[in-house]
Amino acid sequence: MNETFDRLIIRILFTIFICLALFIYKYAHVIFYPSGKKQLLKRIYPAENYIDTLHIFSRIIGVSIIFSTLEFNEYFGISISLVHFLTWSLIGFSLYLVSIYVSESIIFYNFEYKDEVLKKKNAAYGMVGFVNSICLALIVKKIFTEAENSLIILLIMWLFSMVLYGFSTKLYKYVSDLNFNSQMIQQNLGLGFSFGGYLLGVTVIITASFSHEHIDITSYLVQVILKVLLGALILPLFMLGIKFIFKVDEEGQDYKTIGHGVYSGSVFLAASFLTSIIVGQINFGTIYPFF
Amino acid sequence: MNRIIVYGLILLAYLILSKSLSPFEFGISYVKDQNELSKLIKGAPVTAILTDVHTTGFAIKTYYLKFKIVYGFESYEELVIRSSSAFSEKLSPFLGLSVFSRTKSGEESMVPLIPGSIFVGDKTYGSWKNQGDKKLWRFFRVYRQIPVYLGWGDYTPSFEDFNKMEMNRQQNTPYFGDTKLFGLEGELTQKSFPDYFARKNKKTLTWQEFLENYFNENFINYKEQL
Repeated sequence: MNETFDRLIIRILFTIFICLALFIYKYAHVIFYPSGKKQLLKRIYPAENYIDTLHIFSRIIGVSIIFSTLEFNEYFGISISLVHFLTWSLIGFSLYLVSIYVSESIIFYNFEYKDEVLKKKNAAYGMVGFVNSICLALIVKKIFTEAENSLIILLIMWLFSMVLYGFSTKLYKYVSDLNFNSQMIQQNLGLGFSFGGYLLGVTVIITASFSHEHIDITSYLVQVILKVLLGALILPLFMLGIKFIFKVDEEGQDYKTIGHGVYSGSVFLAASFLTSIIVGQINFGTIYPFF
Repeated sequence: MNRIIVYGLILLAYLILSKSLSPFEFGISYVKDQNELSKLIKGAPVTAILTDVHTTGFAIKTYYLKFKIVYGFESYEELVIRSSSAFSEKLSPFLGLSVFSRTKSGEESMVPLIPGSIFVGDKTYGSWKNQGDKKLWRFFRVYRQIPVYLGWGDYTPSFEDFNKMEMNRQQNTPYFGDTKLFGLEGELTQKSFPDYFARKNKKTLTWQEFLENYFNENFINYKEQL
């Protein structure tokens, strides 16, 4: 019984410590986003502006996703495991915040947070921002897992994943009929669903591309590039396949509606999950070295 | 139109990167026929023994051949090549035999013969010894490793073998030896170059075995997994 209580106390201690890490994150967020200072440090009223709530809580969900990869190894000693957790959580949310900063600078380069969220309450902006935060958290989580506590490999993979993600966001115009900027100005929620589905799909493919054994970093990254390119080749085939099998008729339809946005986002996401099978889950067996 | 161009560019980038960075490509030359094989094998006297044949791929096959290159004055080395379907099919029946030889004078032969036939009868490497009513070829002590490289085991060529080898070389017909020691059915070939035979005899999972395993694991012996 003593052991059970002791372990429960340790778990509660770690829970408090994670909350402490979240507290640090709150202030770290202000360092990276001085303009959003008022929003995160002031008391939050969720009912006031649901777009703002979505925006703030997407980051809290994101940082929680990243924290979920970290672990306490109590057998090393409480203090060592706490310092290890604190160090890696600091690294984790720093990378996450920089990732959000970079990606939002690419995606929303024509839009301002204050105008779109606080003044206009633009639902499309809120939806895209929400999905973007979740996607980046999933990518950072993946590279945390793959880096296996190596800081240099983590940094290389993070930079690499950011390039892939940033580049992918620019390809949206080739896979969708919706014009991002004009639909965002018109506050079309359909764009939010469509672009959100696209970002989630891209994330599924990128995380699948990072899932393989790495012996040396160069060949590992080459494999990642090849898998991403393969994903870009297979994805349109699955999209066409889904449209053909389920007899989706886009002729004469208004593509600026929410329904069309939901449809296109869902097709992106479904096709991406299916693409991830082709990219990461086909095992050819050992054909080399063959002799 | 833009989409097709972008798709084409991605496809091109994928193919170029795959081709140039693939580990399958490193250090393995493509050899279309005998002439190209000859260019790849340097030095003289030298002989190339075909030691393994392998095919990979589902719809588009890639053919690999492995040779043991045995030199007169150096240690042996191994050569792996990719080849055309025709060249692979042409050489496959002669596994375990010398399929290429070049003499000191530079004369080349692609007639499949007993491995190392190029060295037999050459007085630089050995001499004929009388043993009973037979004349057998013995390598000089300094070249005692050559029969080991050639995978001869206990085999010692007789003067009769030598004559037949020479005759077949001149007539351009393959020679496996009289005693079924060499070639796909040959005991010595199977012993000296076992990789091909091990792979060929490897048991593959049949549909019946697959289904039996599946039902055993899930419906009959499922308690073992609990």
